[in-house]
Amino acid sequence: MASPTTPEQVAASEGESPSFPVRPRRRRWWRRALLAVAFAGPGLVAANAGNDAGGIATYASAGAQFGYRTLFLMVLITVALVVVQEMCARLGAYTGEGLGALIREQFSLRVTAFALLAFLVANVGLVVSEFAGIAAALELVGVSRYISIPVAAVVIWVLVVYGSYRYAERVFLILSLAFLAYPIAAVLARPNLTEAGSQLIWAHFVGSKAFLLLAVALIGTTITPYMQFYIAAAIADKGIGPDDYGKERVDAVGGAIFADLISIFIIVATAAAIKTRAPLATAAQAAQALRPVAGRFASQLFALGLLGASSLAAAVVPLSTAYALSEAVGAERSVGKSFREARLFLGLFTGQVVIGASVALIPGNLIQLLVQAQVLNGLITPILLSYVLVLANRRSLLGKAANGLIFRVIATACVVVIAIMAVAVLGLTVGGWFGIG
Amino acid sequence: MVFQSPSAALRHRYERRSRRLEVAREIRESLVSLAGLLGRPVRHAGGEVIGKVVDIIVRWDTDEPYPPLSGVVVKVGARRAYVPASAVASVHQREVILATARMSLLDFVAREGETALASGVLDHQLVDIDGARVVRAADLYLATVGAEVRLVGVDVGFGSLLRRLGPARFRTRPTPEAVIDWASVHSFGPDESEGGARLARHRGELNTLRPAELADLLEDLGRRERHELLDLVEPDTAADALEEMDPKELHQLLAETEIGKAARLVARMEPDEAADALRDLSEEDRSALLAALPQKDAAALRSVLEFPADSAGGAMTTVLVLAHPEDTVAEVRNRLAGQAEHLVDLDAIIVVDGEGHLVDDISLVELLLAEPDTPLAELIGPPWPVTVTTEADVREVADRMIDARRLSVVVLDDEDRPLGRILADDVLDAVISGHRRWQFPRTR
Repeated sequence: MASPTTPEQVAASEGESPSFPVRPRRRRWWRRALLAVAFAGPGLVAANAGNDAGGIATYASAGAQFGYRTLFLMVLITVALVVVQEMCARLGAYTGEGLGALIREQFSLRVTAFALLAFLVANVGLVVSEFAGIAAALELVGVSRYISIPVAAVVIWVLVVYGSYRYAERVFLILSLAFLAYPIAAVLARPNLTEAGSQLIWAHFVGSKAFLLLAVALIGTTITPYMQFYIAAAIADKGIGPDDYGKERVDAVGGAIFADLISIFIIVATAAAIKTRAPLATAAQAAQALRPVAGRFASQLFALGLLGASSLAAAVVPLSTAYALSEAVGAERSVGKSFREARLFLGLFTGQVVIGASVALIPGNLIQLLVQAQVLNGLITPILLSYVLVLANRRSLLGKAANGLIFRVIATACVVVIAIMAVAVLGLTVGGWFGIG
Repeated sequence: MVFQSPSAALRHRYERRSRRLEVAREIRESLVSLAGLLGRPVRHAGGEVIGKVVDIIVRWDTDEPYPPLSGVVVKVGARRAYVPASAVASVHQREVILATARMSLLDFVAREGETALASGVLDHQLVDIDGARVVRAADLYLATVGAEVRLVGVDVGFGSLLRRLGPARFRTRPTPEAVIDWASVHSFGPDESEGGARLARHRGELNTLRPAELADLLEDLGRRERHELLDLVEPDTAADALEEMDPKELHQLLAETEIGKAARLVARMEPDEAADALRDLSEEDRSALLAALPQKDAAALRSVLEFPADSAGGAMTTVLVLAHPEDTVAEVRNRLAGQAEHLVDLDAIIVVDGEGHLVDDISLVELLLAEPDTPLAELIGPPWPVTVTTEADVREVADRMIDARRLSVVVLDDEDRPLGRILADDVLDAVISGHRRWQFPRTR
């Protein structure tokens, strides 16, 4: 007698059975939301990481201080961002490795150490700005930074180390969605479209030190070294290979453009809302830009968004820095295993949080501290871009996917221009110490 | 499934090994640090400098545990020349001495079965087979063994990295604080695009790794190395390792693997584990993979994929051994023998009537204790099986298991026909997933 004895037979009879109902999938709402986020590719996520606390402060500062005059610069920065993100995405897809590991394998140890040191300094700068962002957000609702920063540092450290960070992350992510109000605010504020439009197209440069400094801050916050490491690693981790790269390129390029559109909206909204052209002094001023959307709750909305974005990045930036460094040193094994095994990783993470929180505690203007951290990033960006450029040019590494002649010229031009601006700012700053300039 | 790595025993093993290698100063003196040797002079027998060391080439394709020197790449002026091992008299910490007074310089070309240590191994990932971990070579040590110079160890210490960053004069001094014997190292071949030959030599030691250890290695390696390792181990071992991998990492691995190879691996996995892996793939990748699978495997997987992951239908395995009341114990035992590969997923057989409705399940222990010619009908009786429907939540399944003190439950369709079985370990996975081991949230 023929009795079903093997799983195969069971499965086969099941497939034919008409009595087999297909049930609707029950999914919790946040899972569905998460799925939607998962569809947002690494390119989109990476580029939009630029719109963090430091980004908001810098774009708002640009709008407040120079009105629409930085818009043209944003167009150029977008071109550079597209070029850079595309190279990093390509490196991730074709090698399957993060930039940390790639640099270690492709450059001599000393050159590697320099790159990683630069990366670490840039990211510690970012962590400082994230804690400054948390402090600025909570000051809007009347909490002193001498309370908010230490508490935030301890809470974030505990959340990450004791493993309940995943849940907190969702809350922070939802809070930071408050900044989606910016494009609406930009439209409702009835900006001077003629002026905004002409400033967007017309190439110009304001010959002042303040403008140059802000230009480097804009570069630093838009083309952050952190984003380059993130996109390469995220693509490698998602298992995106050369075959899927066509789709990924769309994501990388589209993500960069989308992120910069949001940045441009922030500048426009702030320029339209604030009429006195001076550097931003307080977060309350920056919050005015959201008034067309939130009315008298503009401050609260801004505080929520800033708190969410800053808290999110205050954990993510030191974590991924620690990952990149551990990977380059060769301590991959220790990451994510146990406390005792992860000494290097834990040390790097803790160190960044402690330094970041401590620097943010130094009395001074929080918004300007946020902007200055972006200037630091802008100074370091060309260093790491040079590594990316060399790697993406390397035929021995990427084969046919290495930069072609035209792309190489454009990419080199981007890096050189950014480097010249960084050197100029550095020169002016150092000169300033000695009373020159 | 549960593996606390690296365990205290492993750690003890590393320590003991490091201590052994630290023993005598003579050893330190006789070791040549590759990182220190780079850039050092290459001299004629007469002492005249002809160039600088750029790279050291060793032969891989022999069965010897310690690869012998095959040649030295020397920078002479602006040119890269190759000096074969036969022309090398000795290799010291600070210099290489050639045997001949004059020689013709050949241009360097990478050859099959050879690897350049400085460009292909130093600073790259390696597998420490004894320790079952992935390491990155901070330095490589050469030693003169008998008449030949051989690669004997790899340094993975942080101190060696610092030494290489420091001034040149300290760089040549070996600092063997965390050295792994090369005999227990698996190294990956240079990239094909770098002009080297891929190392496809099968190391028997790799198959001594436990699936969970192999899974950890696969998670930690870079993409190219990961696939090389996957190709080197037996397909069944590889499939076992995939079952142990973190779902996110496994998803990544399958996404980047060529479809035919991925299908071969998935076909060898247990259906419930394979379904979990497929669940996270994109619609497109999943259907491509299902299409590449043998018909019967694909059908089994599709039936599990119908259900959400946290329902009984999603957590069940479709590996069942069905029998009728009139079958004898001996017949059923024979049938079980044919299912040996699924043994971990079996703890009982299911008895069904003529229409396929569940009658009872009989544990393997009961079968073992019964006389071979007993018909199953005599074994039917309490304890009756615990059953759930496909849409039951896994937490509910866990509750039922706890109440009944059973190790598995049977999943039934609406007509009481058995579809699959959920074992206690699968419920554990589902209920405490995410808390399985202490882990930093991955943010990249």
